[in-house]
Amino acid sequence: MSATLAEPARGAETRLAVRGLRMRYPNGKLALDGVDLTVRAGELVTILGSNGSGKTTLLRCVARLLDPSDGEVLVAGEDLAKLNGNALREARLALAMVFQRANLVRRRSVLANVVGGTLGRRRTLWTALGGLPAEELPLARELLSKVGVERLGGQRADTLSGGQAQRVAIARALAQRPKLILADEPVASLDPEAAEEIMRLLRALAEESRLAVLCVLHQPALALRYSHRVVGLRDGVVAFDLPADRDADLHIALLYKEMAA
Amino acid sequence: MSVDGTTLYVAPRSARAEPLDASAARPEQSGLSRRLLRIVVGLVVVGVVGQSFVVVQARPEDLITGVHGMVDLLSRAMPPAWSESGDILWPSLETIDLAIFGTVFGVLMALPLAVMAAANVTPARPLYFLARGVIALTRAVPDLVWALLFVTAVGLGPFPGALALSVHSIGMLGRLFSEVIEDMDFGPVEALTLTGASRLQVFTHAVVPGVLPSLLGISLYRFDENLRSSLVLGFVGAGGIGFRLLTAMNLFQYQTVSLLLLATFVLVMAAERGSALLRRQVA
Ligand SMILES: Nc1ncnc2c1ncn2[C@@H]1O[C@H](COP(=O)(O)OP(=O)(O)OP(=O)(O)O)[C@@H](O)[C@H]1O
Ligand SMILES: [Mg+2]
Repeated sequence: MSATLAEPARGAETRLAVRGLRMRYPNGKLALDGVDLTVRAGELVTILGSNGSGKTTLLRCVARLLDPSDGEVLVAGEDLAKLNGNALREARLALAMVFQRANLVRRRSVLANVVGGTLGRRRTLWTALGGLPAEELPLARELLSKVGVERLGGQRADTLSGGQAQRVAIARALAQRPKLILADEPVASLDPEAAEEIMRLLRALAEESRLAVLCVLHQPALALRYSHRVVGLRDGVVAFDLPADRDADLHIALLYKEMAA
Repeated sequence: MSVDGTTLYVAPRSARAEPLDASAARPEQSGLSRRLLRIVVGLVVVGVVGQSFVVVQARPEDLITGVHGMVDLLSRAMPPAWSESGDILWPSLETIDLAIFGTVFGVLMALPLAVMAAANVTPARPLYFLARGVIALTRAVPDLVWALLFVTAVGLGPFPGALALSVHSIGMLGRLFSEVIEDMDFGPVEALTLTGASRLQVFTHAVVPGVLPSLLGISLYRFDENLRSSLVLGFVGAGGIGFRLLTAMNLFQYQTVSLLLLATFVLVMAAERGSALLRRQVA
């Protein structure tokens, strides 16, 4: 199946460039040791690696939820690792994150959660006081139908199933109008069919909406089926970075086997 | 999991058939020692209960001869002095207002203290310990004792009672509020931070919806407790129905006493039902 994947245009704009990224936790643990990685517009790149290899640390460094110890994180050309305060906030508009648990605001409606994704663009007194920007409601409805849950808009977020919640979380991420989507194990708590659907959705966002998607997965089969490239991470170092085809298959098997040994 | 033909996962190890409870391996011995333990525990329980009878000077025979006095008291308390119903409206309102004042000021003071006393959001370590200290002190000293202190300080009347309830509520609420904040789900906070939202927006859109229902529920429950406390506070001169009850007792107006007890019952039940109903609404 990987042979049928359309290769994203070589000259496509680079949306994420990670260079020499190192992350040492305060307790001395060196979780990332010089990671280099590029994701272009229109591309879905998957990161594989065993537990503790540094995948979550990598995504959190990219989003600046963690302060990297060293290196560059260029999101749409801006080095996030060097920014702070308002400049960081502005630069973050370009990236959106999807978590394993959807992280929706539980007591709010689905529609309100999706509109929440626009807060960074809509900084008014009204929204600062907890109000929602009414002018974004049409966009939120449109995105809900795009992810296939248009009927759930009025429901409270804590009444959704795992798969529905993840779709809403993706709609919220899209409401931000990002250039790059980061997803940390977005299908980990979903049944196989729902997992396939979420991956299909992420793939379509990359190809049709020309987004850059960087996704952590624990399922090599899904990675090979849906991504353009797979990156193997081992002890905070990139072990391989390959197009998703037969060749990658062997490397992936090796990546996990070495850890088991 | 091997959709692509390669086995990437190790099969789960078969569960080992080892006894979980080590004592199960030696049935006779454990049976004997367990029986002995049971006898010892039984003797200790009997001893503890027995000494309490001695210390409180329990005299069951007095209770039996006392029945007669009780019947006499009850007959003198019946019927309740309905004609005085109008007179107890004001003390009832006073009791309710004591609880409202105590709860509102308790909540207002407890909120900032709870933020300081929550390990995950406290602005500074010294503030954390200071806030914990204030909460522990106001909680440990009962409201009745606070009322005695305030009556001495500001004189008789409902005001010292209201102050006592406020101060004690600070401690009770502060601790529960800080626990809610510590247990808060940070997922939505991170998610909204990453949309590029401002700190204030993150607070109003993620933190507030996350904790407000719990805080409201706890506050309503506190109101219910404060109402019951405010009845007792009257006995030390801090206004409300309690104070009227004390006066009526001292003047042997038992029919007034029974009316006041009835009013108390109605108030407590109403507060309990009302706060439970509202708590269900905000859940
Ligand atoms: N807050 C922290 N402080 C210290 N060490 C940490 C912290 N968070 C993670 N680590 C360590 O950093 C390494 C990488 O962790 P990370 O969470 O990035 O792994 P992961 O690849 O996402 O694993 P998983 O597949 O289990 O999600 C691990 O060895 C972990 O123990
Ligand atoms: Mg992880």
